[in-house]
Amino acid sequence: METPSFKGTHLFDRLSWAKENLDGVQSDYRVVYEDSIDECAKILVPDPNWMACALQGGILPPVWVYHELARDEAMPTFTKHTRGYLLHDTEPMPAMTEEEAIEYLIMKDCPQEVWRNWDTGNKPKMVICRKEQLPGSREWRNAWKITEELSVTDLAA
Amino acid sequence: MALGKIKADTLEHSTAGALDTQYVVNGSAKAWAQHAGATPLDSFNISGLTDNATGNFTLAFSNAMGNALYAGTFGGATAGNFVCAYNDSQFTASGFNMTCFGYNGASLADPDHATAIIAGDLA
Repeated sequence: METPSFKGTHLFDRLSWAKENLDGVQSDYRVVYEDSIDECAKILVPDPNWMACALQGGILPPVWVYHELARDEAMPTFTKHTRGYLLHDTEPMPAMTEEEAIEYLIMKDCPQEVWRNWDTGNKPKMVICRKEQLPGSREWRNAWKITEELSVTDLAA
Repeated sequence: MALGKIKADTLEHSTAGALDTQYVVNGSAKAWAQHAGATPLDSFNISGLTDNATGNFTLAFSNAMGNALYAGTFGGATAGNFVCAYNDSQFTASGFNMTCFGYNGASLADPDHATAIIAGDLA
């Protein structure tokens, strides 16, 4: 199905069109990251309806729009978004592959200090893996950490 | 939306009176989600779920809210013995955090199913 021309259409309306016309896509990719040494690893899971939008193209705004809004929200004087038009009026992203969508989602929903500096320590702060690579049982969920045996140089190689 | 549009400021019933369409727009849910543990099942206006720890999840909006002053309703079930709640200090315009407790309320736990509904103003 071809995406209607949505430039200038409110993002909420674009998402409504997608909900009505696209089937959700369950991704097997998971993003494991650590943003605090005192906490267990966190797992980012893409939403199936969002993934369908990313694969379809013409619906989601570029990720820099979210960074602009995040910058506004971080201002001490922030009370309410006044640049929501960036979500609605910016040319939507073209269709992405699943891997490109995961990279987009990382830049949208992971803390910036994690994905910008993922490889600056002795071990990576972030790893993209498949669902089946995670522990099968959640009994020890609060002890999950990225293994110390995974070095940044190994990944780069 | 590009595919047909009805513009109206008021909806009027023959006997029950009239309703400003702003009430419909402002009063509708802006996001909802159901997930099974850390697996998203279905949703609207959600980009991803972050599994922070046992019984602790963060969901991010695709279309951000106007600010953090919105309302959320949360629920969870594992044979009916679950309570899911939120800490509004962890509401942001871009997403929200929800925590789920076993029936005794003493400790965080993973429900088989958790639900969230968000109402408020969009960015």
